[in-house]
Amino acid sequence: MTSTGIGRRAASGTTGFLKRSQPRYVEKAVRVLLIAASLVSVLTTVGIVIALIPPAAEFFGKVSFGDFITGTDWSPLFKPPHFGVLPLVTGTLMVTLIALLVAVPLGLGAAVYLSEYARPGVRTFFKPILEVLAGIPTVVYGFFALQAITPLLQDIWPGGEGPQVFNALSAGFVMGIMIIPTIASLSEDAMNAVPNDLRDGGFALGSSRMQVATRVVFPAALSGIAAAIMLGVSRAIGETMIVAVAAGGRPNLSFNPLEGMQTMTAFIAAAGIGDLPTGSIGYQTIFAVGALLFVMTLVMNLVSIRLVRKYRQVYE
Amino acid sequence: MASPSEAPVSASGTSVPQVSYRDAPPLITPVFEVGGLSVFYGDHEAVRDVNMTIGGRQITAMIGPSGCGKSTVIRCFNRMNDLIPTARVAGKIRYHDEDLYGRDVDPIEVRRRIGMVFQKPNPFPKSIYDNIAYGPRVGGFKGDLDDLVEETLTHAALWDEVKDKLKTSALALSGGQQQRLCIARTIAVKPEVILMDEPCSALDPIATAKIEDLMEHLAQEFTIVVVTHNMQQAARVSHRTAFFTTDVGAEGERHGRLIEYDETARIFSNPSDQRTEDYITGRVG
Repeated sequence: MTSTGIGRRAASGTTGFLKRSQPRYVEKAVRVLLIAASLVSVLTTVGIVIALIPPAAEFFGKVSFGDFITGTDWSPLFKPPHFGVLPLVTGTLMVTLIALLVAVPLGLGAAVYLSEYARPGVRTFFKPILEVLAGIPTVVYGFFALQAITPLLQDIWPGGEGPQVFNALSAGFVMGIMIIPTIASLSEDAMNAVPNDLRDGGFALGSSRMQVATRVVFPAALSGIAAAIMLGVSRAIGETMIVAVAAGGRPNLSFNPLEGMQTMTAFIAAAGIGDLPTGSIGYQTIFAVGALLFVMTLVMNLVSIRLVRKYRQVYE
Repeated sequence: MASPSEAPVSASGTSVPQVSYRDAPPLITPVFEVGGLSVFYGDHEAVRDVNMTIGGRQITAMIGPSGCGKSTVIRCFNRMNDLIPTARVAGKIRYHDEDLYGRDVDPIEVRRRIGMVFQKPNPFPKSIYDNIAYGPRVGGFKGDLDDLVEETLTHAALWDEVKDKLKTSALALSGGQQQRLCIARTIAVKPEVILMDEPCSALDPIATAKIEDLMEHLAQEFTIVVVTHNMQQAARVSHRTAFFTTDVGAEGERHGRLIEYDETARIFSNPSDQRTEDYITGRVG
């Protein structure tokens, strides 16, 4: 390399026009603030897990884990107490399943319509409205289930015994309505992000709009759609108010959606607002159920990430 | 203007100083007859009054500067413009004896007969096999898919390169292979016509030469219409060439116009319009 005139001048002394105009610590401070912001959620999660462990551990010192997980009678506050958590688990799963049966088809249908069929104007009009549904307080949904859906179901029930006043069916149904916007909106984002090149390729091979949506766009957007459904499932499992209001407060090991049943979250809420003395076994059950709930959602998330990795189609 | 790296490479990959033009077969069996075709995007008339006849089993090239409407016109031939909400087509395109824009015409049926390859290779994020099988599957193909995939890939001169990795993602292929896969995917549907909208613009000269070889080979069986920015490519592969350019109207509005359409040898050696000559010789565009 030959040395240039510029190089020589820079070596001999500077004219100052390359000087930093902003002091370096501003950039550093911004960086620290942003890291702090992103750490808040991580630390909160860690904190919750840490807070769950000691009372849950104490609980399992008194009640064997096997009895807890396989027991079919849940009456921790009665005498003699029983700590079989299965009725709460089946209640939770039952309501969540009903919610998904409602929300997945309707949510994905709405997403496919908005992303693949609707004209741009319709989309910009409908999407915010859909998202308003997500802003309704869940206690309102709960009373809607109890006061509107349950009586309606009882009226139109064809023969036999209809739903009880508190039942899993209307709670699950309304919970499904509640998570439609989550599934629809996030799935729509995922489908909308699929490049138009791929759609053109599908159309040019003689596909109908439906075929492009289901065979080209849907598989390409699968990981986003699965994430949307998982978020919906998590909201359903964690939802408390709707089930507390509309599904009743009686632990009930049953697979009949017309009966009332208590979910894990509803138990935690009910026991939590009671006057259980800190350190008592009743108090510790709250944490044991909470820990189980946490593990269930965690496992579900891990499994779904696995599945998505296996089946997703990555586009560039 | 073509870059120097493209100029000396012929379809066979050897260096040729002079282009030899291909004899144009006569237009006895017209596939498309275009009459008074105008295309609007909203109120804007992007292409005005195109008239041309495209013959079967030959390669027709469309050349011209950017914005001259050649891509817009080629997208009329398989009704891809239908997918743009603001686009409107006026005038007539006859495909054999059918009005392509007739009231009862199903665009899906049109696109099964008139396939299209795009500027940027756009294989589906699926396996190589599933890319080829896509068209036949959506078309309700009943025969043996394995056979069809092998036959199609062989036809597209891609079989030897991919036969051991049919189940791997098409996105693992090189750009040139992806584009040849897209051509193969198109012929798997057994169309009559293949439209190619600047099929080599994202490829290097060697991959381009392979596509050009493939086009020549396929022209024995298919009718090919190709839009290209590369004049050498048009000169090398096509039998007939249409030159488009942009007209600027009195109020500054711009319309794409077809200026001259003739046998390729004539367009490149003895064009009858001054604007064609200026473009061919590199004076404009």
